[in-house]
Amino acid sequence: MKSDMTDKEEVRPTLRILHLYPDLMNIYGDRGNVIALVRRCQWRNIPVLVNELNLGDEVDLSSYDLFFIGGGQDREQTLVCEDLRQRGEELRRAVEQGAALLSVCGGYQLLGREFVTWKGEVLPGIALFDMRTEGGEKRFIGNVAVRSRLDGVSGTLVGFENHSGRTWLGPGAKPLGKVIWGYGNNGEDGTEGCVYKAALGTYLHGSLLPKNPHLADWLILHGLCHRYKVEGLDPLDDELEWKAHEAALKRTQAEGSLGARITTFLRG
Amino acid sequence: MRNARLNRPTVRGSAHAARRSCGKVKMFLMATRETLAVCAGKAAMWASRRAGLGAGSNLPGKVALHLLPDLPRRIASRLPEGCALISGTNGKTTTANLLAHFFSLLGERPIHNRVGANLVTGITAAMVEDCDLRGRPRGRRGLFEVDEATLPKAVELLKPRLVTITNLYRDQLDRYGELETLASRMRGALATLDREAVLLLNADDPLVSTLGEDSQAQVVYFGIEDPRRQGEGIRHAADSKYCRQCGAHLEFLQVHFSHMGKYRCPACGAERPSPEIAALEVELEGARGSRVRLSLMGRELEVDYPLPGLYNVHNLLASAGAAYLLGIEPEVIAQGVESYRTVFGRGESFSLRGRRLFLVLSKNPTGFNEVIRTVKREGTSLPLLLALNDRIADGRDVSWIWDVDFEELASAARFVVATGTRAEDMALRMKYAGLKREAITVERDLRKALLQAVDRAGEGETVYALTTYTATLDIRRMLSRMGVAEQIWENARRKGA
Repeated sequence: MKSDMTDKEEVRPTLRILHLYPDLMNIYGDRGNVIALVRRCQWRNIPVLVNELNLGDEVDLSSYDLFFIGGGQDREQTLVCEDLRQRGEELRRAVEQGAALLSVCGGYQLLGREFVTWKGEVLPGIALFDMRTEGGEKRFIGNVAVRSRLDGVSGTLVGFENHSGRTWLGPGAKPLGKVIWGYGNNGEDGTEGCVYKAALGTYLHGSLLPKNPHLADWLILHGLCHRYKVEGLDPLDDELEWKAHEAALKRTQAEGSLGARITTFLRG
Repeated sequence: MRNARLNRPTVRGSAHAARRSCGKVKMFLMATRETLAVCAGKAAMWASRRAGLGAGSNLPGKVALHLLPDLPRRIASRLPEGCALISGTNGKTTTANLLAHFFSLLGERPIHNRVGANLVTGITAAMVEDCDLRGRPRGRRGLFEVDEATLPKAVELLKPRLVTITNLYRDQLDRYGELETLASRMRGALATLDREAVLLLNADDPLVSTLGEDSQAQVVYFGIEDPRRQGEGIRHAADSKYCRQCGAHLEFLQVHFSHMGKYRCPACGAERPSPEIAALEVELEGARGSRVRLSLMGRELEVDYPLPGLYNVHNLLASAGAAYLLGIEPEVIAQGVESYRTVFGRGESFSLRGRRLFLVLSKNPTGFNEVIRTVKREGTSLPLLLALNDRIADGRDVSWIWDVDFEELASAARFVVATGTRAEDMALRMKYAGLKREAITVERDLRKALLQAVDRAGEGETVYALTTYTATLDIRRMLSRMGVAEQIWENARRKGA
C-alpha cells in the first residue's frame, strides 16, 4: 500500500462500506459483492468496516466511502424507493465528493430519474444517473459479457442478467460498457450500465465482483481515494478469479452458438 | 377431521360424455390420433434409451405432446383414483417417492414420474410409459411431482384430487421471475380446484400457508410443533418475511430454519395456521436421520425416519399427510417410513476404493445451508467434493452460491475439489469463504474430480459430495458404470424385500 498521509500521525486508510437495504435488496446473491470487497481489503491488510442501512435508519452517509445496493423484487423496490428518496440528496452529495458506489439491477433502476413499472406505476428515482427505466414484457435472462472502459483502461466484465426493465441513458449519462453478448440496459442500443464519477450502475450479478476483480479493485481504490491519498493497491494473486472470469466468458460465448441451442433443445 | 380424507373415488364421466357427443368418425380419428401419439412416445422412449441419451425422461413426452397436446388430460381422466400432485421448491422428489413407497406396500403401483422429470413433458412421458397403446393407464392413480412454474398447467390438465405444496424458496429465479409472482400464479391455479379436492399446505412457510386462500378445496396444514426445534433465525437466505394480508414485517416466535417456523403478523394479527398433520417431537440423529412422533389428524405414531435434517421432516409430514388423506392407514405409513431407502443422490452413501462417498443433492441456498449444517456435525477436517452445474435443470444462474453460508463449511473442510460446468465459480466461492488457496482444486471433469477427492481422502474416511441436480445425476450414472451404485441398489432392494 503506497500512501502518503497529509497528517503527520500514522493514520491507516480505512474503507468504510455502507450496504444499503441488505434485507430487502438481496436477490441473486448480491451479498457476494460485499464479501468480495471485504476479503480483498483484508488480504491487503486494509482495515475495512461494513455497516448496513435499513428502512428508516438514521445514518450519516458522508462518513462512508463506498456504497452498495443490490437487486430486489417489485414489492421490496417500492418500499426502498420511498426511503431512498429521503436520502437522495445526501447520497448524490457523497458521490459528488468522490465516494464510490455500486448498484446492481433493482438498486440501479432506483438511482435513475424514474422507473415506470410494467403495471404503469411510477417510482421516482434519485436522479444520480441521467437515465430512466420502463418495465417490459419479456424478461432479459442469461449470461452477459461486456467490454468496458474505466479510467482509460479497457477490460471485459462477466455476469448474469435477469430483468424486465429497459433502461435508457440520457445525454448526460455514460454507459459502463458495450454489450458483447447479452442484452444490457435495454436489449437495443448495446449499452450496459452507467458510470458517473465513481458511481456505477449495472444489470450484471453473478455475483459481479468476485469474478471481476479489476472492477472490485477499482471501487476499493476510488473509495479509499475519496478520503486518503492513495496511489494504488498492492497486487493480489487473482489466478482463480481470472479463471472464473475466463470460464464465464467462454460460457457466454458458447451459449450464443447454434449448436448449443440444439443441444439444449434435445436435452429437454 | 377425518372427513377430509377422500371418499372412494368414482370413475370420471367427462371423457365418456365427450365421446358420446362426438360423431363416430371424429371419435375414430381422435382415437387413432391418440394411439399414434402414444406409439410415437413409446418409440421415442425406446430410441432414446437405445441411443444412451439418458433415461428418456422428457423426449417421449415432447414427441407425444406434439402429436396430441391433450394427451395427459385424456389419460388422467381414465385414472379411477385420479391424480395427486406434489409441488414446491425443495423436497418434491423425496415426498413423491415416499408416497409411492407407501402405495407399493399395498401392492399398488401409481403412474409416477420417478426420475424427477417434473415438467409437463416429464409427466406425459411417465403416462406414455405406463399405458397401453390405446392410452388406457395400467395404474389406478397418478402421483406426480410438479415443477412450481408448471403447477397451473398441471392442475388444468390433470384435475388433481390432492395437491401438496412443500415450500417456496428462491431457487431458479432465472426461470420463474420473482417469488411473489410465482406464488400468485400458483394461488390462481389452486383456486380452480373443486370442492372435493384436498390441498395439503406447509403451515410453517408463510408464503405457502396462504396459497389456499382463494380455493374451494379443503385445506389441511402440516407443520413442525416441537418447541425445541429452534433454528438460527432468519438470515440472508430467508425469502418470505412479509404478511400477505397487510404487508407488515412478520414476527417469528420460532424459526426452524430459513423462513420456516411459527410466525404472526404484529400489525393485523394474521398467524400461522395450526397444523393437523404435525411433528410433535423430533430427535435429530445427524446423518442417520431422526426419530419423530407424528400426529395425523389426531392419530399418533412414532417412527425412525432414515433421512437426515429438519428439512426432511417437512417431506415426511407432506408424504405421510398425503398418504393419510388418500386413505392409507397409519400403520402402513409407519412401516413405509422405516423401510424407506433414499433415492437418487438425496443422501446416499457408496463405498469406493476403500472410502465412503456420501452423495447429497444440494441445489439452492436453503437446501445447501441445511446440508452444510448436517455435514458439519461429522467432523472438522472433512474431504469435500463440490459440483456446480449451470444447465437448464440446475438453473443457469449460479449467483445463488453467494447466498449459501459456505463460510461455515470452509471452517470444517480439509480440502475441496470443485467441479462441474461452473467449477471455477465454486472454487472462487470457497476461496472467499475463507478456505486457503492450497486446499482448493479445480477439476472440471466430474469423473477425475470424483476420483481425486476419493484418493486424497484417508483409508476408510468419508468424502462428502454436495452436488447440484444434473451433477448428481451424472455422478450417479458414473458410479453405476463403475459398478458401484448398482451394487448398493441391489443391497437396498434385498434389504427392502
